[in-house]
Parts: sequence; C-alpha cells; structure tokens
Amino acid sequence: MISGNAALTGSYDHLQVALSVLIAISASYAALDLAGRVTATRGRAQLTWLIGGSAAMGIGIWAMHYIGMLAFRLPVPVEYDWPIALLSLLVGILCSAFALVVVSRRRMGLTYALIGSAMMGCGIAALHYIAMAAMRLPAECRFDFRLVALSVVLAVVFSFASLWLAFYFRDEPQNSAWRKLGSALVMGVATSAMHYTGMAAATFIPAAPALDQSHAVSISSLGTLGIAAATLQVLGLAVLSSLVDRRFDAQGLELALTETRLELAHVARIATMGELTASIAHEINQPLTAVVNNGNFALRQVASEAPNLEELREAIAEIVDDGTRASAVISRIRALLQKGAPDRVELDINEVIQEATILVRHEATLSGVSVRLDLAADLPRVLGDRVQLKQVLLNLVINGIEAMRTLTDRPRELLVKSAKNADAVLIQVQDSGKGLDPEQVGRIFEPFFTTKPQGIGMGLSISRSIIESHGGRLWSVPGSSGALFQFTLPTDGNSVS
Amino acid sequence: MNERAPIVFVVDDDPSVRRSIKRLIGSVGLQVELFGSAQEFLLSKRPDAPSCLVLDIRLPGISGLDFQHELAEANIHIPIIFITAHGDIPMTVRAMKAGAVEFLTKPFREQDLLDAIQLALERDRARRQADAEIAVLRERFESLTPREREVLPWVVFGLLSKQIADAIGTSEASVKVHRSQLMRKMAADSVADLVRMAEKMGIPIPKKP
Repeated sequence: MISGNAALTGSYDHLQVALSVLIAISASYAALDLAGRVTATRGRAQLTWLIGGSAAMGIGIWAMHYIGMLAFRLPVPVEYDWPIALLSLLVGILCSAFALVVVSRRRMGLTYALIGSAMMGCGIAALHYIAMAAMRLPAECRFDFRLVALSVVLAVVFSFASLWLAFYFRDEPQNSAWRKLGSALVMGVATSAMHYTGMAAATFIPAAPALDQSHAVSISSLGTLGIAAATLQVLGLAVLSSLVDRRFDAQGLELALTETRLELAHVARIATMGELTASIAHEINQPLTAVVNNGNFALRQVASEAPNLEELREAIAEIVDDGTRASAVISRIRALLQKGAPDRVELDINEVIQEATILVRHEATLSGVSVRLDLAADLPRVLGDRVQLKQVLLNLVINGIEAMRTLTDRPRELLVKSAKNADAVLIQVQDSGKGLDPEQVGRIFEPFFTTKPQGIGMGLSISRSIIESHGGRLWSVPGSSGALFQFTLPTDGNSVS
Repeated sequence: MNERAPIVFVVDDDPSVRRSIKRLIGSVGLQVELFGSAQEFLLSKRPDAPSCLVLDIRLPGISGLDFQHELAEANIHIPIIFITAHGDIPMTVRAMKAGAVEFLTKPFREQDLLDAIQLALERDRARRQADAEIAVLRERFESLTPREREVLPWVVFGLLSKQIADAIGTSEASVKVHRSQLMRKMAADSVADLVRMAEKMGIPIPKKP
C-alpha cells in the first residue's frame, strides 16, 4: 500500500472457511425447504412458518458471514461490537422474510423477480458490510470500491438465482431432495463467493482504534465453533420440522380425500336408495302381505270345525318362506346403507352381480326391461368391498334401465356379463338403448355431469373412483349398439370360487 | 233372476301374494281366479257372473291405474279393488276418482279386503241387474211399431191423446189405439210406470209439443 504503514497481511483459517461454506449451503437448503412450507400453508400456520423460517434462514446467513470473518486472521487482535452484530442479524432475518414472501406468491414475473433479487442482494450486502463495521481492531479499514461493487452485483445475481430455484422447488415436486441439495450447493457457494469478494475488498492499515470500543467483545475459536454448531442446529431443526409438517400435511390430505370419497359414496348410496325406496317398500310388503293373509287363513282353519290340515300346513310353510324372504330383503338394504371404511374381503363377483340385480328386479319389470345374466363359471375370487362393488353395479344397471325407458322399436334388454380376463375379471353391463351420445362420452365420468333430469351426476364418477380404489378400471366402450360399460377387478391369484 | 256364483279375479305379479289371497278369499266360500299380469287377465275367458277385480298397482308392463283406464275404454265395467305395497295420496285419489271400490295398502287387514270384495260384488250385482232390466226393456221397445215409438215420448211427457193427435198430425182415435198397444207391449201398468222405463232406457223426452 502507498501509505506510510504497510497493510496488515491476513490469512484464512481453512477449517473455518469450510465451516462457513457448509453453513451457507445448509442455510440455502433450509431456504428452499421453507419456501415450500410457506407456500403450502395458510393463515396462522403460514405466518408461523414465515417468522420461524426467516429467523432460521437469517441466523444461517448471518452466521455464515461472521464465521467467514472470524476465519480471517489478522496479526492484531480483532473484537466485535455486539450491538452492530445484532443489527446485522436483524438485517439478515428481514432479508430472509422478504425472500420467503417473494417466493410464496402465486406467480413470479421477471420484473418482480428482478426487483426482489435487487432488494435481497442489497440486503445481504448490507448485512455483510454492517458485520464488517462491527469489527473493532487497531487498524483502519479501507475498501476497494470495484470489489465492493462486484460483491454487491454477486449478491444480487445470487439472490436472483436463489429466488428462481426456491420458486421452482416450493411446490415440492416428487423426489426433489437431490435436486434441492444440488441447488443448495450452488446457492451456498455463490453466497460464499459474495462474502469472500467483500472480504477481499477490505484492506486493513494499522492505526489507533478510532471506533467506540465500549461494546467490543472478542470471540475465541471455540466461540466460532459454538456459533457454527448453534446455527447448524437451528437450520437442521427448521428442515426437520418442515419435513414433519409436510408428512402430516400429506397424511391429512390423503385422509381427507379418503373421507370425502367415503362420504360421497354414502351420499350416492342414499340417492340410489331414494330411487329404490318404492321398489324396496314393495319388496318387503309383498312377503308381509302373504304372511298376514296366510296367517289369517290359518286362524280361520284352526277355528273351523273341520280344519283342512293339508291346506293349513301349506299356508304355514308359506308363512315361513315369506318371513325368510322379508328378512333377506332387510339384510340387503342394511348392507347397502352401511356406512364405513371399505371392507376388503375375498368375494365371488357373480354373487355380487346377482344380489345387485335382485335389488333392481322390480325397477326392471316396471320399465319392461328384461335383465339377462351371463356369468362365467369358476371365476377367480376378487378382493373387494362387497357394498361398494354392489353400488357400482346398481349404478350401471339402473343407468341402463333408465336409458331404455323410452325405447319402443326393439326389446329392452339389459345384459350383465362376467368373464375372466388375464389377471382380472371383466364385468360388462350393456343395454339395448340408443347408446351414448358421442359428444357426451368424454364427459360422463366427470363429477356432476348428468343426462338425467333428476340426476346429480355423481354416479359414474363415484363408481369409477370405487373401481380405481380396487385397482381396477371402469370405462365405456364406444361403437357398440346400446351403451356398454365395463370394469375390471384384479384377482388375487387364488383361482376357483 | 237366477244368479250365478260370484267370482273374484286377482291380478298380482307376486305368486306368493296371489296364493295367499286365494286361500283367504276361498276360505269364505268365494270362487277365485288368479292372474300374474294384466295381459293374462284380458286374454282370459271370464264367466258371466257377478265379479270383481283385486288389482295390484305395480304390474309388469303396465301400472294398475293405467289398466283401470284401459278397461273403462274397452267398456269392461268390473268393480276394482286396488292393492299396493307403496301407495301415495295422488295414486289413491286417481284410483277412487276413476271409480275404484277401495284402495288397500299391503299388508291389509283381511276384513278390509273381504268387506271391499262384498261391496264390489254387490255393486256388480246391482249393475248386472240394471243392465239385465234395461236389456229387457230395450227388447220390448224394439217390438214397437214406428208410430207407437213416435207416440211414446208424448205419453211420457203427459199429453192427452187429443193433444198427441194434434202434435203428430193424426186422429185422436188412432192415437188411442197406438197408446193402448204400446202400454201393453211395454208391460207398463200405468203412465208413471212407463215414465220410469223411459228413464231407465234413456229415451229423450220432448221439451214441448
């Protein structure tokens, strides 16, 4: 240097430099991770993540700069003014909060990103130079302004890159951990580059201490390690809580989805029940009528002088049959109405088909529809929820019956067929109606899409979600005469019913 | 009039219900015939006897209410007792307005059904008797000469023979002959008797001469 006093020659403690880079990388990783949480949450949770996240990140950035400075050894004792050091920490936290707010916005335009990164870069540069201003040493600090400018530019560029990366990762795409780590490496190294450029801009000339020494504290190597350890802990905690929160969130979401689906399935069952109420009243009252009539007949016979025992026996036998029939109807209805988590059991799909078609028997006769079953023998069993599968079948069969109500030029026939198909069983429901409108085919599985005047448009959409939850597929087959719906159910491999 | 044994027709698609109704009605000594559908009933050969129809509302192909309408269109006046497993008020109103005897909800009390059947059979008997009487009167009316048929409404109206003669442009003497002839042929004891007969047959009576 040109002045009378030669500049002090500094050297770096390489271990501490490495530590500062490690902290920079950790802080970057935490930043990327926290951006996702701030975006995914709402209300109080979002505010908590914002405050906690910016505190952790701010401490990370701040610690990185201080450890970087502590790694710089001068031949004179260096102390730090703690109020200024705290001020620089505050700047770091505010800067982090600002960054998190920027990246959690719904969309980020280029202008927005540029302004954001300019502000953030200046903030980080401010942190760095405030931190340097906290240095208390018997020397005068001079800056090379070209390098200072370069360090600010680097800070802005690094902020820009960070914002984009954080914005990209905030939606937490699958398997993003490695890419996140890579980005954190880039960001951490960039931060360090900025810091050490800033350090290189400073030259220390021995001089009497000019600044206020009253709040100066010296920091030992142990102290440096303490700062580093505490910072890493804070960052680790931030990343860990973010991970736990995300898990809970995902679980909660899955749970909510399952619950909604069950709820909808229940609603749809009730709706189907509504359509079937008349049919069911009929199904129960028919056997009851026969029971009451036969009972009355039996009473008369018993009261008469010469009861006809053979007729009496027949009447009583029919009472027993009809009582059993009524109770079977009630069991079927209870099974239909039962609400609960799916109950997977091994079952014979043909039985389910038969039970479902018995329930709509009256609906079918009233509409003049003949229901034909073509069930393959020796089908492998499937693992499924009997009630849900029955609901799907009811839906498809009732749709078919309703589609044929206006049919006059050909017989109204509904065919329900089961067959073996590779690793699955295939069930088809075909009516002889006018078929699906090609314009509507693409939409029929959409929730709330309906072609029926009284329909709510949930039947097929729920049916499809039920079949898919069974690992099968439900679709309509175009081009055939009448509408053809079919679904598959995977078999568990154990053949023979 | 020698009456044939009454018969109850039952149309219900549920065999078990059909059989139980047959047992019940049969146990009070009535003859019962069972049908599984409206079509079967229409195609059956029904004996000429007082009868009624126990009809289920829910039938394959056609509803009981529509079938009631069809029967009326086809001029088949059989009293109907509806039975249904799920009746509602509009259904009941429609059935009763169309002349149903009773509308019973399954399972019904046996006495309700038996009472309804008695009422229906009485109605059918009365209708059959009225139909038979009208048929006899019609036969007698057919035996009148054109001139006698012309004189009859004026007698019913209450004109004297002289006034009738003026109204139809003939002599009082010939009107008197026609008058005694038609009273004899119609087997009417008095003018009042003849008025009742004309009413039953629905012969139009002139408003004024």
